[in-house]
Amino acid sequence: MALWGMVIDLDRCTGCQACVVACKAENNVPPVGAKEAVRGRIISWMQVLTEEDEEHDGEVKRFVPRPCLQCDDPPCTKVCPVYATYRNPEGIVAQIYARCIGCRFCMAACPYNAKYFNWHRYQKEAPGQNPDVSLRPKGVVEKCTFCHHRLQKARERALAERRELAPGEYVTACAEVCPARAIVFGDLSDPGSEVHRLARSPRAFRLLEALGTKPKVIYLSEGEGRG
Amino acid sequence: MKWVGVIGVVAVALLTWGFWWGEPAVKQPIEYPHKTHVEQLKLPCTGCHQRAEKDNVAGRPPTALCLACHAGGETKSEEVKKIRAFGEKGQEIPWKRVWRLPSHVFFSHRTHVAVANVKCQTCHGPMETLARPPARPLKTLAMNNCIGCHEQWERPNEKGAGVVKTGARHVSTDCNTCHH
Repeated sequence: MALWGMVIDLDRCTGCQACVVACKAENNVPPVGAKEAVRGRIISWMQVLTEEDEEHDGEVKRFVPRPCLQCDDPPCTKVCPVYATYRNPEGIVAQIYARCIGCRFCMAACPYNAKYFNWHRYQKEAPGQNPDVSLRPKGVVEKCTFCHHRLQKARERALAERRELAPGEYVTACAEVCPARAIVFGDLSDPGSEVHRLARSPRAFRLLEALGTKPKVIYLSEGEGRG
Repeated sequence: MKWVGVIGVVAVALLTWGFWWGEPAVKQPIEYPHKTHVEQLKLPCTGCHQRAEKDNVAGRPPTALCLACHAGGETKSEEVKKIRAFGEKGQEIPWKRVWRLPSHVFFSHRTHVAVANVKCQTCHGPMETLARPPARPLKTLAMNNCIGCHEQWERPNEKGAGVVKTGARHVSTDCNTCHH
């Protein structure tokens, strides 16, 4: 059984936002419009957070790409009254739109603000959308799913060819697009995988580690080279 | 008098119920008889629905495939003449889609037909008995149809007689396996 995870090297990230754009295109993430944006209802599964430098005013100290961290001990799933979000056997925190009743408990529970609510039906079916990802109706919560539709397709292909899933056959859109190769995706339980190796790096840390959510998105802090 | 009105409203509601809530009937361009092809000529389903073994969707047959048999000779059938007319114009037959799964469901025909050897009739019903194209799906599929099968899945043993109970690794009931 795989354990899907991601390592994001903050030393490599340039803040270019390619991952943000790729994610939106891949997952039919809706543009909410100016009025909604003013109300703070922008939906962006992947966000590049910025940290200001305290000593040098107005300078950005670091960029932190933040997808859903796919916690191994997720607070959001514990409060869902309808099993619309849960941790699946391979460690992906699933989000089943058809089950969601829109109570938004999970949004309140998520310490990383990685969940978003569809206040309206933001989009209709149109050419150019990804047919592998359904459009979310009004009144459901959505979030990064580690592009699990790509896993569905990859697994289907492997099954038809009567073989196991090959390493690297399933990667998320953000990891695939990152020009600086800051985002590495793979199977944390496979000792031969790059994410397994990087996750054990002395530079590895997790966001809000003290909460005990055990995120499977692991960050590598900047090296010594930054002054 | 008031009751007459109430009964009238209820009666109209019941009469139009099917009209409003039933799925609209699908009218195909050609009155294709499954019965003749499958029951009498013993053609396999995948002979015409060729994508079922290698794709997510089963697909509807292209004109050329029909003409492979129906191109030559005299015909009295109006329907065969229609096929030839499409062929002469170089057009595909505008088959209408009857079976639709909701957009949030991932379903692969290849997995179920080529890997798991599920009979088409398991989900589609007795299509081979139809003398004309179905206006609606013969069965209304709900999630229970999928889960019911996935929970107690047995497949034919490839190495010999009997059946093999497949482990959950292959046949998953995890929501994420089919929902996206």
